[in-house]
Amino acid sequence: MDKKISRHEWKSNLLPALVMVGPVTLVLVFLVAVPLLYVGVMSFCSIDEYYNVVFKFSAENYARLLNADYLKIYGQSLVVAFITTVLCILVGYPFSYLIARTKSKRKTLLYMLVIIPFWTNSLIRIYGWRTFLGTNGWLNELLQFLHLTGEPVDFLFQQGTTVLGMVYCLIPFMILPLYTAIEKLDGNLLEASADLGARPFATFFQVILPLTSSGIFSGSIMVFIPCLGYFFVADILGGGNSDVIGNLIERQFQSGNNWPLGAALSIILIVVTLVLVKIYQKIGGDLESLGT
Amino acid sequence: MGRKSRKMRVAIMLVFALGAGLLAGCGDSGSKSSETINIFVWTEYVPDSVFEKFEEKTGIHCNVSTYSSNEDMLAKVKSEAEGTYDIVLPSDYAVEQLIAQDKLMKLDKEKLTNLGNIKDAYLNLPYDPGNDYSVPYQGGVAAIAVNTAKVDKEITSYHDLFDESLAGSIVALDDYRAVIGMTARSMGYSMSETDADKLGEIQEKLLTLKDNIKLYDSDSPKSALISGDCTVGFVWSAEIALAMNENPDIQVVYPSEGPYVFMDNWCILKGSSHFDASMKFINFMLDGESAKMVSEEFPYLCPNEAAVEAVGEEYSGNPAKNPPEDVIAAGEYVSNLDTETLAVYDEMWTKLKK
Repeated sequence: MDKKISRHEWKSNLLPALVMVGPVTLVLVFLVAVPLLYVGVMSFCSIDEYYNVVFKFSAENYARLLNADYLKIYGQSLVVAFITTVLCILVGYPFSYLIARTKSKRKTLLYMLVIIPFWTNSLIRIYGWRTFLGTNGWLNELLQFLHLTGEPVDFLFQQGTTVLGMVYCLIPFMILPLYTAIEKLDGNLLEASADLGARPFATFFQVILPLTSSGIFSGSIMVFIPCLGYFFVADILGGGNSDVIGNLIERQFQSGNNWPLGAALSIILIVVTLVLVKIYQKIGGDLESLGT
Repeated sequence: MGRKSRKMRVAIMLVFALGAGLLAGCGDSGSKSSETINIFVWTEYVPDSVFEKFEEKTGIHCNVSTYSSNEDMLAKVKSEAEGTYDIVLPSDYAVEQLIAQDKLMKLDKEKLTNLGNIKDAYLNLPYDPGNDYSVPYQGGVAAIAVNTAKVDKEITSYHDLFDESLAGSIVALDDYRAVIGMTARSMGYSMSETDADKLGEIQEKLLTLKDNIKLYDSDSPKSALISGDCTVGFVWSAEIALAMNENPDIQVVYPSEGPYVFMDNWCILKGSSHFDASMKFINFMLDGESAKMVSEEFPYLCPNEAAVEAVGEEYSGNPAKNPPEDVIAAGEYVSNLDTETLAVYDEMWTKLKK
């Protein structure tokens, strides 16, 4: 009797389960697992005299990753990513708070102000900054018109410009999770805090900030990680003088034409990402708020 | 109801328009040959008008894809199935690589009736002696651009680019063979040096260039010259020609050491099933009139004598478009390196850009 029921259940569950989970599994296997495996295998290959990938096991690519110049670029990349993340929090938090707390009709408008530029290709927007900040760009013309400077200021092609471009490109990833977190904040708690005698300053640090920290964490992860890979920002606004990890990878897949080395570099980037996500989980971050 | 019927009308009209298009397409291919050749060329290098003219003339359709470096092209050619591309446009050293890997078909020279238009100096080059596999399209040199209104120092050589007074003012090609090769030439060495000691010296000098280079850009280095963001350039000669049009203060300087020279060539890939049509296309590109159309849009070094005559002073009188013959003769083509040496070059490049 028991057996019959379980068999019946098994039969009735298998088909729907296959239909529901099957396509997702296929997509994950073919678009995530197989390419990852391919990159992993390739990172242990080498190249022949015509840059063809040869499937001959070698760990040499990983040995090359410890090169002092590469280490400097990883460090530099982490610093750029860290500064970008901090700036995104400093700029994004007040703005998200404003959108989340405002009661007027402007709420949608403010929200759209973040989203709409996001729909435009980021390369085009980055080239826009180049025109704006150039020696004969609008900013310099304005500064000279106001007699704030006599000579045009060199804004472009410095590490600071790279950071600016990164902040500009990635700030929506900070604002959106922050907005969600602040939106959820219960207004009664703020009133309670005020009733119990806390000044706004104390309310912010002891009530608001802890309650919205999940948004800060997930925003930080979503800004920090792409920052390591956004090679085009470092190229276009940084002038190509201070690489990030993404530049190293891009170069090995293009002009360097050493795909195995590029694959090994990609693996490093994946490992860094996994470590960061682990740390994030340890501090109590929720994977779901990363959109995974 | 009104809205619905309007939608319906639009839909019906669309169906008719599509049908008419299809019919027209059929009629077209009926009267002419419907062959399609797949052409794989550099970006911003072959004008659309030339392809259109070829289609009009022969009825052969051109399916064009583009690449932005020889390495990109080589990787794609090797990873795609044979026959994906019929015609490619590799530079000198890439031609050599393709020949060595047995990827090219021998050209049928009897069909190249326009080959006589090409100057002898550009035929029979070391990467393909006898031009069995390739014929030249356009070329150029990596020259120096100087904005004379803003730069006081007189620049005459590659070596001058290392001068301290040029700190933060150069736009250079984002191309390691070009920049390292330029450094080597400034010391009297070859662009394809393999000797370890010499490479050590080259690296030492190369790193002193770091502070002088403000921007690396291979796609459109003219923009930074025109906008004034950079006042000196180590870029392709045609980019300088285009920048000079916008800003007359910009001038071209050919380095006294002899420049980096390149030549791009038409080749047919093994496995092409449209050999005859491809030969027709290559012969068409060697025609003086076609080469003139190319030269007017992308003013690179033009090896086609008939076109040079047809364009006239506009080309010959402009030193940036038409590098003097002795400059070319003093120049050097890049040649292929073994993987170990290339790895050394790659490391130097990383040191420069870190």
